[in-house]
Amino acid sequence: MRKGYILKDKLFPWLEAIRAKYPLIAPVQEDGLSLFKEVEKVSDIVLDYGITRMPPKDLFFPQTEKMFRIKNKNNMAVELETPEKITDEQVLFGVHSCDLKSILALDPVFTTRFPDRYYQERRDKTYVIGLSCQKALPTCFCTAYGITPTAYEGADLHLTELGDKYLVEVVTERGERLVAAVPGVVFEGTESLEAEKEKLTAKVAAEIKPVDITGVKEVLDANFELPLWEKWAQKCLGCGICTYVCPTCHCFDINDFNRGDGVGERFRCWDSCMFSDFTRMAGGHNPRPSKKERVRNRFMHKLKYHLDRYNLVGCVGCGRCVQRCPENIDIRAIISDIKGGV
Amino acid sequence: MLKEKIKSTVSSLLENKQVDFVIGYGAGSDAGTVRPTFVKAVEEVQELIWSPFAVNNLAKYVMDHLYENIKIGVIVKGCDSRSVVRLVQDKVFPRENFYVIGVPCKGILDKNKVARDFDLSGEFVDFVEQGDNVVVKTTKGDITIPREKYLMDKCYRCETPTPVVYDVLLGEEIAPFRRDNYEDVKNLESLSVEEKSKYWDKQFEKCIRCYACRNVCSACNCRDCVFDMAEPNWVGKAANLSENTAFHLIRAWHVAGRCVDCGECSRVCPMGIPVNTLNRKLIKDMKELFSVETPGKNPEQGAVLGSFRTDDPEEFM
Amino acid sequence: MKRLFEFIGFEPGRFHARWISGSEAQKVVETAKKVTEEVRALGPNKKMRDDRC
Repeated sequence: MRKGYILKDKLFPWLEAIRAKYPLIAPVQEDGLSLFKEVEKVSDIVLDYGITRMPPKDLFFPQTEKMFRIKNKNNMAVELETPEKITDEQVLFGVHSCDLKSILALDPVFTTRFPDRYYQERRDKTYVIGLSCQKALPTCFCTAYGITPTAYEGADLHLTELGDKYLVEVVTERGERLVAAVPGVVFEGTESLEAEKEKLTAKVAAEIKPVDITGVKEVLDANFELPLWEKWAQKCLGCGICTYVCPTCHCFDINDFNRGDGVGERFRCWDSCMFSDFTRMAGGHNPRPSKKERVRNRFMHKLKYHLDRYNLVGCVGCGRCVQRCPENIDIRAIISDIKGGV
Repeated sequence: MLKEKIKSTVSSLLENKQVDFVIGYGAGSDAGTVRPTFVKAVEEVQELIWSPFAVNNLAKYVMDHLYENIKIGVIVKGCDSRSVVRLVQDKVFPRENFYVIGVPCKGILDKNKVARDFDLSGEFVDFVEQGDNVVVKTTKGDITIPREKYLMDKCYRCETPTPVVYDVLLGEEIAPFRRDNYEDVKNLESLSVEEKSKYWDKQFEKCIRCYACRNVCSACNCRDCVFDMAEPNWVGKAANLSENTAFHLIRAWHVAGRCVDCGECSRVCPMGIPVNTLNRKLIKDMKELFSVETPGKNPEQGAVLGSFRTDDPEEFM
Repeated sequence: MKRLFEFIGFEPGRFHARWISGSEAQKVVETAKKVTEEVRALGPNKKMRDDRC
């Protein structure tokens, strides 16, 4: 893997050069919230942002996405207009290692058994530039899943701030294309940086409150019924916050919008397994009738089903759900209860 | 000590089988966070705490037990007690099935405000009031917080520091000492049409349609919510500005006259939308038009929009 | 309803509410004319436009 560096004071000029060629989506501050947004000025980019309120999955899997346009031709037929192009090339900058891993967790869902054109095109046309963490938040626990705060898996290019330089790791072929298209990375003299990167990794990892998931999957493999599910489900409001702020959650609904005059569109939008009607079927039967079934399903998915299906963790330890759950349902405490056989 | 009073009250309720279980607060992920805790056996009572950060409104959880005809104990502050009134008046849960454990409250600390100036990342151990300060003991050290500077915004305008209904009150009644002048609403009312439009467009653009505001609200107690309807699809599921605006307006109208202004909707919003301001605008207008009190404050006050007086204003005639 | 619409930035005059009995035909006509005039004077509505497709 090629490695290079950019001097710290050359970073923003390089980002500006990128922005001049591609839409650049980066972490900004809006109304006190940290969010990934398309920037018009690179000076809006905030580098030490902790964690964004919403995960970057929206770039590949938008909250609401038009699938095709529908036009009534006459009473017997409709015309469907599928978009020729879903997106232009774009650059996503500043993604921390947990979120990078989450993109990899989403990939098999949308690109293997049921290739999804919309996701695939966005994925193919997005250059992902990762950014190592300089600190851990009290809610971070990426290390529980073998992810380190400086891991580059999931990025095309990965940056780590070390002293007066940014180490640049060119992880993928797409990353090579980007450094060729936007020069600025110096490819030499990175040997000392690698040792410094190790030190940074250890320093930030040490700030993380340890969470031990050994044995969790095994307990879940062996037990579908556990008293802890009712205990935690009681606290749950049944809203969609955890699923929507989660970088790996990917359930969606498909609906039609009818303009009323014979024109409309089919769209897909995020859906949440925590909603009471999520599994309600035509006819009224609901196989997950109470919060207990729904809460159990969600955590089984994060801690077991995603691993079963794709051999990838369903949770990346970003901690957003812990921060935002209105009733403080904490997956780390659930993990601890599972291990304790509660 | 409030924590001890809570534990002994709850223990005795459980021992005497006066309730099937009690909903209170337990320790959460950090010193500034509490977690709703459901206690059905005396051995579990030791999980209950009191915390200066005990913000969650616990009343609505009774809706998970609608047809069971059981008795549920709930710990409530002044704002939460109005939710109890709401649920009883809407005939959602009978008064006699509630055992209301009232806690007089001068204000709850806002963990986001506190976290900007203090380290709340340790675990909560205990707290003590020291004059104007609250000293919070955490596993990472003690924090001395000047109470009045760090309250939830809603607490500065609280007119019911003492719960308006209770079966037992764990402390001395606190006479109301703050006034609600609806400054937050008035500030927005004073903007121009353009400015108002821009402000709310910016807020509703952020909405991710998680429905946390609806789910936490005790006035949102319909068996079948209009927003869950697919046939007819009153408000589409797409999260765009128009649909989001429709959701928020319709929800505000559906709870109009019944919202008790507990403030939970704004607290739970993950995107920081001031949801409660819409409800408060309607409450302010209703107070001006119909000379009523905040719904839920007076259990004797009937449904504001469900009653008619011959001297009601008739601007629409 | 009117107050909340205006609170979020609809121009006054966009939304009208009137109580009219079935036997007040003249009032229907007057109200329809008034609403049409006022709304027309405001021009195209810019809020809550769902301009998809």
